[in-house]
Amino acid sequence: MEEKELIQGLRERDRKTVEYLYEKYSRALFGVILRIISDRDLAEEVFHDAFVKITQKIDSYDESKGRLYTWMANICRNSAIDKLRSKEISQSSKTNTIDDFVYGLEGGAQTQEKIDGIGVKELMDQLNTDQKFIIEYIYFQGYTHSEIAEEFDIPLGTVKSRLRAALQVLKKNIERI
Amino acid sequence: MKEFSVNIQEYIESGKLELFLLGELNEREREEVIAMAKAHPEIQQELDSLEEAMFSLDELTGVEPSIQTKEKIFATLEEDLQEKKISTPTAAPKETKTVKMTPWKPFAVAASLVAVLASAAAIYFAGKFYETDQKFVALQQEQAVLADNLNQVKQEFEKTDSRLDRLVAGDFRRIEMVGESFDMQKDAKVDVFWDQSQQEVFIAVNRLNSLSASFDYQLWAIGPDGPVGIGIVDPSQPFSLQQMNAVAEAGAFAITIEPKGGSESPTLEKLVVLGEVA
Repeated sequence: MEEKELIQGLRERDRKTVEYLYEKYSRALFGVILRIISDRDLAEEVFHDAFVKITQKIDSYDESKGRLYTWMANICRNSAIDKLRSKEISQSSKTNTIDDFVYGLEGGAQTQEKIDGIGVKELMDQLNTDQKFIIEYIYFQGYTHSEIAEEFDIPLGTVKSRLRAALQVLKKNIERI
Repeated sequence: MKEFSVNIQEYIESGKLELFLLGELNEREREEVIAMAKAHPEIQQELDSLEEAMFSLDELTGVEPSIQTKEKIFATLEEDLQEKKISTPTAAPKETKTVKMTPWKPFAVAASLVAVLASAAAIYFAGKFYETDQKFVALQQEQAVLADNLNQVKQEFEKTDSRLDRLVAGDFRRIEMVGESFDMQKDAKVDVFWDQSQQEVFIAVNRLNSLSASFDYQLWAIGPDGPVGIGIVDPSQPFSLQQMNAVAEAGAFAITIEPKGGSESPTLEKLVVLGEVA
């Protein structure tokens, strides 16, 4: 289904289109949330609310301001960060690191997840220390780039360029997996 | 042109596009990225491929939510969702238009519309009235304060004006009192204006230190019968005329510091200024 068609269907509240959206994006969108919120039940709850929000707020989505997936991923990411902060989980108990995450996936019961977990680990191993650090905090701990700059005293420009470099590495390697 | 393309490359490599996709830019920066992408296909292309990469990464690191969550989502959405429409989207509105109304219906519709509008207007204007009323009361209070102030200023002015009239019309001589030869305030300076025929005395403070609350400056006219206290001097109003008690005979004027309210006779150790009548 073309993106345009998809958006049109969503605006019409068409059940088939919403089902298609779920099939296509639920995995990635849930991934966005699960990276930040390690508690599986809590993450499912956040995903439920975020997906309902996406469907109901589709009229406020403006195509000229970015692609659909970016919009949806931002809703999920922000919902996760909001939940994380509202639960007042202290920084120290925020144990969601890449390793924990990969381990969590590997420890999962389903074979499918286990294979993916290994894929993520391989992918992350392609990053150097600095890049891994940035990805860990932005992707897995829900930090904003300015929070990283402030908390770890790294110039904002450096955070930006490391984020870009890290994503370039991941982008290049993602096709190989 | 070459320089321009370098700038585009710099823009792409600035990391801004990544932050755009992560939703971390403010409104102004977002607008900028959107405008840049619109103007430069290279930037749009980079944005698309980055988004694709982020999606792949999310998908790779993601897992399927549980079937329970899926069921719950669709149960929540149940009321919102519709089965696929049979007609094309444009057909529906046309159909609605051709529905004929019995004659009373348009009037009923119009009447209720008027009623709704009238109520809305009534509520709106009631709100406006309240707001205006409040403003009016506030303005009235402000006006009263201003009138009070004006009255005070007017009285001040009339007092000063009458003093000035008398000063100009009368036969005043000016006696300079200075503190040079005393230890109290070397630079103190107060002028006495004395119309002997009318027995009127004014003073104008030029320079006089302020005193603590328990002391006053007292003006003395020194005549054939010795010093006579002729009033308290206010040091806080320099260069304005202060009228003192009447004096017929005086060879000199002086100011001393006295306990609050003044004394019967001057405390000479606290003589501040002295001026002899020439």
